[in-house]
Amino acid sequence: MGFWLELAASGLITGGIYAVVAMGLNLQYGLMRIMNISHGEFLMVGAYLTWWAQTILEVNPLVFLPVVALVLFVVGLVVYRLCFRPIAKTAANVEIVEARSLLVAFGLMFIVQNLAYLAWGADLRGYTFLSDSVEIAGARFGANRLLVFAFALAASLALLAVLKFTLFGKAVRAMMQSPTGAQLVGIDTAVLHPTVFGAGIALAGVAGALLSMVYEISPSMGEPYTVTALIVITLGGLGSAGGCLAGGLLLGLVEAFGMHFTSPSLKMILSYGVFILVLLARPRGLFAR
Amino acid sequence: MTSVLRWRNLAAALLVAAGANVATSVLAQDAPVRIGYAIARTGPWAAGAQVSQEPNYIMWADQVNAAGGLNVKGKRRKVELVGYDDRSETETVVRTYEKLITSDKVDLILPPWGTGANFAVLPLITKHGYPMLAPTATGRKLLQLKSPYFFALLQQPDVMMDALAEYLAARSTKTVAFIHVDELFGLEQATALEASLKQKKIQVIEKKSYPLGVKDLQPVLNDIKAKNPDAFVSLSYPPDTFLVTGQAKAIGFNPKVFYAAVGTAFPVYRDKMGTMVEGVMGLGTWNPKSSPAAKAYFDAHVAKFKKEPDRWASAHAWAGLQILQQAVEKAGLDRKAVRDYIAANEFDTVIGKIRFKGGENISTPGVVSQWQSGEFEVVWPPQRATSASLYPKPAFK
Amino acid sequence: MSARVLLPRTVALALAASGVVLAAAPWVLNEFLLSLALTCLMYAGLAVSWAMFSGATNYLSLATAAFFGIGAYVTALGYETLTYPVAVLLGGMVAAAFAAIVGATILHLRGAYFAVLTFGLGELVRHAITYVEKKYSGTVGRVLTETPEAATVYLTVLVVALAAVVACVIVRNSRFGLALAGIGADEQRAQTLGVNTRLAKIGGFALSAFFAGALGAAMAVRWTYIDPPAVFNPFIGFQTVLIAMVGGAHTVAGPLVASIVFSLLTELLRLQFPYLFLIILGVLLILLVLYLPGGLASLWARKRAAPTRDG
Repeated sequence: MGFWLELAASGLITGGIYAVVAMGLNLQYGLMRIMNISHGEFLMVGAYLTWWAQTILEVNPLVFLPVVALVLFVVGLVVYRLCFRPIAKTAANVEIVEARSLLVAFGLMFIVQNLAYLAWGADLRGYTFLSDSVEIAGARFGANRLLVFAFALAASLALLAVLKFTLFGKAVRAMMQSPTGAQLVGIDTAVLHPTVFGAGIALAGVAGALLSMVYEISPSMGEPYTVTALIVITLGGLGSAGGCLAGGLLLGLVEAFGMHFTSPSLKMILSYGVFILVLLARPRGLFAR
Repeated sequence: MTSVLRWRNLAAALLVAAGANVATSVLAQDAPVRIGYAIARTGPWAAGAQVSQEPNYIMWADQVNAAGGLNVKGKRRKVELVGYDDRSETETVVRTYEKLITSDKVDLILPPWGTGANFAVLPLITKHGYPMLAPTATGRKLLQLKSPYFFALLQQPDVMMDALAEYLAARSTKTVAFIHVDELFGLEQATALEASLKQKKIQVIEKKSYPLGVKDLQPVLNDIKAKNPDAFVSLSYPPDTFLVTGQAKAIGFNPKVFYAAVGTAFPVYRDKMGTMVEGVMGLGTWNPKSSPAAKAYFDAHVAKFKKEPDRWASAHAWAGLQILQQAVEKAGLDRKAVRDYIAANEFDTVIGKIRFKGGENISTPGVVSQWQSGEFEVVWPPQRATSASLYPKPAFK
Repeated sequence: MSARVLLPRTVALALAASGVVLAAAPWVLNEFLLSLALTCLMYAGLAVSWAMFSGATNYLSLATAAFFGIGAYVTALGYETLTYPVAVLLGGMVAAAFAAIVGATILHLRGAYFAVLTFGLGELVRHAITYVEKKYSGTVGRVLTETPEAATVYLTVLVVALAAVVACVIVRNSRFGLALAGIGADEQRAQTLGVNTRLAKIGGFALSAFFAGALGAAMAVRWTYIDPPAVFNPFIGFQTVLIAMVGGAHTVAGPLVASIVFSLLTELLRLQFPYLFLIILGVLLILLVLYLPGGLASLWARKRAAPTRDG
């Protein structure tokens, strides 16, 4: 593989990681304008559950993925019912929903993180899974990273397909376009909202499970991922599933090429610079609806 | 016996019992020695603090109390730890030590985790005269502040990098490529490394730095692999150490020497990376084979916390507590006297003899350790080595 | 049009009185309690100046950490050559200048876009400073060998916090404040009514940044070693927003009361429940948002029977 292709591949793989991390948050914000900045904490929980299953129960992390998804889906339903539904009911407009859900999410962040400290302690944990290298056209990559990338692609495409072709997806899109209109035609938010919120949390958990195969885990690992998720979904266009994937991949590419041409130290500045530039040109993100 | 007499006897018996109780409590219940500290239990510093530092504080207090109490100039008194979570926030660290010193008026203090936090409390402990033995603070800048109450237990960057350079020279290394994290720690280590290598006439063919939190270093590693250095040095923090190890394996980068500064001494490195760690070198002072005292410390730690101490700062933390204990035994709780005693004497500790000069531990040499078959063996300098080094490093498995 | 009173006499007197009372603290309280008071004052200043802009315009800014950090780093670089009060002033001005420049670039964005961008500003500035330092000074962070007395630091922060409150009151009563509130209510309508929304936003953003920067510059001397990761702590940004919104971001008194309650409560919980306090705090916060959505300010605003603004 040529040098540039390999660099691009590296960037895309990292970008895939970013996209996976952002997907869940995108759903929640896109549909319900819920700014769930505790997103990273649920990612962390997914990571810990997978680690625990792998180290203590000796269950293959891939096999455990659906379990993580299910557990966190249920957690998401509960969290929505307790914390976010009251906001949606009493708020007068979406900006208020955003502001209040932000505050509630702060509270959740404290709670979930601290529960993790109590349950698992502050020490770093980790395991390695699929760390062997895979050779593609002469270039070598870690198998676990490739797995995350593959999942990012598959999940994004699946999500796009669901949104475009299924009845459920159409209902979601209808709600995103016009909440009142959707309700007028009989779409039931009482079912839709919790489901989508739960799906968002489940996706966060699955992202965490995948990441735990590559990176070490600790109770405070969630926040940087929340920041990344926020940047990716804003870059891609809030609520757009395709934009989420594109935004993540773009970010990964910018970082890879930027780090090569300038210096790794400038990674953050470059990502950020691109972010601002994109928003200057297209204030609603790349793929805004 | 008449009832009056019985009551009188009962009252007398009670009085005697009460008097005896009071007497024994006066004897055994001297006020406990209160030792205060703030440490990171949550936040980014917690991962290091909860492995290397706080467990030692707790275990030490337990052991001392089990033996009857801390020996304060001949009198035994219980140790009471007063510990708070500083949330990895510098301002909270400062405020908590202000509370401990001016409000709680503790007898002694133990340090927080990390260079930044130690910097923050330095003026405070100097002003109020509380000696502090710090096991997780590095950097000449700290020592340059010349606080008479501050004692740094860890080896300074130049000492550690000198040891590495010596080892490399002994292996006839010609070329080195290194990367470092964009933080004060990384910068100081990098400067020290370059100076040490230059002295040994070893050429640096590539050096790159990266920001904390980077998620992918593969392009950088590919670059370095292409230049084929004899040795690769990563002056990194635990997250990057893990990253660099995993990615070096992924691209098949197998230099003769692979060294990663911080994180390699943590047991979790071996637990997480598995067989990949074989032959990887890093900063570490000791392991259970270093001495019987070291083994005893190791076993006690595992028995109490069900987890191993790390092979670097943990033992320095324990050594600091041992030094404090010995100083209090001779100098009591007069903090100035304790300080003077620490500054003037040489101590026997779990990592060997320790003597301070200008607040720096000048006895513990720079050390290079290497993972071999599940243990972080000390491989340099020869007089401290617990095993010969594995050279060249076997390919990543 | 009737004369507009920028600073009502009652308010001015109340502030002056509290200023005098608070100024006595260094001679009455021990070091720890003084530090606690300092924390309360710092968050009071941060929250009030945040509410001044973000509360009025509904542009949720998470940039407080960036401005605070900039101010702190100005002290780090300039303390040896400038005097403390000058460093504080300069810290505020540099932060304000930064806010004006950045604001000009990003204040056309709204809602979540604006919030996310400002959130990342702290990280951005931190990495930029690290990079420049590394390249041109070969080192990162600065050590302050001599620092001002605790009383000096306290009084300086007190002055800045009071100034923030005064500024907030004056702004709210001025046409400028009306413009900001108008932007918050309906930006397009404000524009059609002749408000230069762009200038107003940039001005408001910069003014609130000034106080955040000044506070950062003032507090930095307490840490001896000032390095980017420590001073660009995102938690300061979170906490400021939290306090202001919990207090009631459309008022002045709300953030003030909330900052004191929050600082004292957090400290109390941290000291009493070393392992649980964040959970307790999180639960309290959620309960507060769900059951007292107008913030603490709505508690006494309701009594006035005037229609309260939701938020």
